[in-house]
Amino acid sequence: MPRKILLIAVLILCFGVKAKEKEKKVTAEEIIETMTETLNPEQSEGVVEMTITTSSGRERTFVYKAYSKNGGEKSLMKYLEPGRVKNQSILMLNNADDIWMYFPGTNRVRKLATHAKKQKVQGSDFSYEDLGSSNEFEDDYSSVLLGDKEKEGKLCYKLELTAKENSNAGYSRLVVWVEKESYVPLVIDYYHEKDPELLEKELILSDVKTIDGIPTPMKMVMYNKLDNTETSMNFRELTYDVDLPDDLFTEMGMKK
Amino acid sequence: MKGRVFFVVVLGFTVIPVADAGELDVFGYFEPQFIYLYQNGNSYQMNSDKLRIDLKSSASNVEFGADVIYNLYFGKKSWDILDFLPSEIVDEVPSGMRSYFRYTFNDTLYLDNVYIRISNSRIACTFGKQQISLGTGYFSNPVDVFNLKDAMDPTYEQTGHNGGRLDVMLLNRTSVMFLYSPIESDWNNSGKLIRLKVGLGHFDFVLTGYEFQDKLTDFYSVSVTNERRRLTGCEFVGEIFGLGIWGEGAYNFMETSDDFYEILIGSDYTFESGLYVLLEYHRNERGETGYEDYNINDWLRFYLGESKTIARDQLYGMISYPLTDLIGLQLMSIVSVSDGSSAFIPVIDYNIFENVDLNIMGNIYTGSEGRVYNSKLGNGVVLRARVYF
Repeated sequence: MPRKILLIAVLILCFGVKAKEKEKKVTAEEIIETMTETLNPEQSEGVVEMTITTSSGRERTFVYKAYSKNGGEKSLMKYLEPGRVKNQSILMLNNADDIWMYFPGTNRVRKLATHAKKQKVQGSDFSYEDLGSSNEFEDDYSSVLLGDKEKEGKLCYKLELTAKENSNAGYSRLVVWVEKESYVPLVIDYYHEKDPELLEKELILSDVKTIDGIPTPMKMVMYNKLDNTETSMNFRELTYDVDLPDDLFTEMGMKK
Repeated sequence: MKGRVFFVVVLGFTVIPVADAGELDVFGYFEPQFIYLYQNGNSYQMNSDKLRIDLKSSASNVEFGADVIYNLYFGKKSWDILDFLPSEIVDEVPSGMRSYFRYTFNDTLYLDNVYIRISNSRIACTFGKQQISLGTGYFSNPVDVFNLKDAMDPTYEQTGHNGGRLDVMLLNRTSVMFLYSPIESDWNNSGKLIRLKVGLGHFDFVLTGYEFQDKLTDFYSVSVTNERRRLTGCEFVGEIFGLGIWGEGAYNFMETSDDFYEILIGSDYTFESGLYVLLEYHRNERGETGYEDYNINDWLRFYLGESKTIARDQLYGMISYPLTDLIGLQLMSIVSVSDGSSAFIPVIDYNIFENVDLNIMGNIYTGSEGRVYNSKLGNGVVLRARVYF
C-alpha cells in the first residue's frame, strides 16, 4: 500500500513537473497567436464610444457601430454620432489593405490607398491600421519572450516584438504585457518607426469582462506620447454570438 | 406639384413607420455664410443662411429619406454675369440682350432629395429625387453628367436627381446599376444608364453607358439645341508603388454636334507627418486650346453649367495638413494649362465645437483679362460655419 501511494506521488510529481515545463515552454509566438485569437474572435458586433482628448484638453466624442468577420480580416464602422459624421461608414477588407469610405451627403464611396492606413481615424490616436488590421502582430513582427512581469497588478508575459525587414509595420518595435490567465494584453508600448528608443504611443487595455465566453477588454486608451493627446474607446455593447453575412462587408452594406 | 411631393413625403413618414414600427430620425445643419469680394476696385458682400433638415425613416427593408433646404440671402443679391467676362466678350453681346445676364439670388425653399429605397442584402431599388455621384475624380468627373463640381469647393454637396435606380450586387465586389431618369413622358429622350463595377485586387474598375438628352445654348443666336448624347465611360481606382491612383474617361457620341472626349487622371499620397498631396489632370476636348479662341458661348455655357470647362487642359493640386486634431490647413490650386492662368484657394477648417465646423476659404486669381482664372473675377474670402443637429 505505501508503495502504491509512493508510486502515485511520484506520478503526480512527474506530471506536475511536466505541466510546469509545458507552461514554461510557451513560446513568444504561441503567446502572440493566442493573444491575437483572443482579441479577434471570428465575428463581432458592437457599439463603440470613442473620445479624443486633444493636447489642449478639449474632447470630441464619436459613437459608431462596429462589425467584424473572419477574425477581424473584414471590418465595418458606421458612425452614429456626432451629426457631422452621422451615417458615414468605413469598410476595411484584407486587414485594412483595402479601405473604402462612404459619404452619405453625396452618396459617394471613395477608395483610400494604403498610404492612408497609418493616418488617424477622425483625428484620433488610432490609425485605420490599428482598427482594421488583425494580423499585424504575427505578420509584421518577430517576437521574443522577456519573461514574467507584473503589470497593472496582474501577472503577465512580457514580450518584445521587433519589426521584420520589408514588413509594413508602422512601428520599429512593440513591448507587450499579456495577462497570463486570459491572454489579454494589458499594455502595449509602440516605439517610433525610425527610432526604436522613442516611445510614440502607449495602449492601456482594462475592464476585462467575459463576453460570450471570451475575455474582452471593454476599455482601451491610447496615449500619444509625442502629441500629448489620448483617445479612449469604450464598448457600449458587444457580442460575438452573431452570424454576420458577407454582404454586410460590401459597398451596398456600407450604404444600408 | 410641390404639394403633391410633400403629401408623398408625409404619407411615407407616417404610414411606413407605423406599419413596421420604424423610427423617424431628424437631423441636419444650419450654415451661415459670409462672402466678401473685391472686384474691379469695388468691395461687395453677400451673406446667406442655409438650413437643411434631413428626415430618415427605416423599417426593415424599406427606407424613406428626404431633406428640405431653406436658403436666405442678404447683401448684394443681384449680379450681372457680364461684369465677370472679358471686355471683348461683353462687347459682342447685343445691348438688347444684356438684361438676360442679370442674376438675382432669391430666397428658396425646396426638396433637395426625397426617395424611397427598398432593399435586401443584394438588391436595392431607389425611387425619387436622390443623390447620384459617379466617377473617381476629386475636382471633376468626366463620367458624371448629373453634377457640376465647383473647382473651388469640389466636395460641397450637390442637389438630388429624379430617377428610378436599381443596384444589384452580383458578387462581393461586383455590382451593376441601372438608372432611369425620366424627362416628361418621353422614353427616347429620358436618361438611361447602366454601370458595371468590378473589384480586382487593390483596384476597382467601372464601365458606364449613359444615354440622355443634352442641352446646348447658342448665345449668338439665343437658341437652344437639344440632342441625344451617348456617353461611354470607364473608371479605375487603386494604387501603384504606394501611390493612390485613379482615372476616368468618357467618350461622348453626339447626335448632331461633334463627338468629344473627356479624361481625368489623378494621384495622391499621405506622408507620415499627415501631409496629404493630391494632383489631377483634366482634359475636356470641348474646351478651347488657347484664350484667343474663347467666345461668349464658351464663357456662358461654363457659367450656366452646360460645359465643364472653358479651356481644354487643367491641372488641379491640393496640399492639406492637420495642424492640430481640430484644425486643418489646405491649399488648392487650379491651373488652366491652355492659357496659363491659375487660381489659389487657401482653406482653414476648424472644428470649433463638437458639432460646429468653421471654414475660411480664400480665392486668388492670377491670370490677366481674357484668361479663365483672371483677376477680373475678383478676389475674396468665404467665411462659413456649419452647426449640425
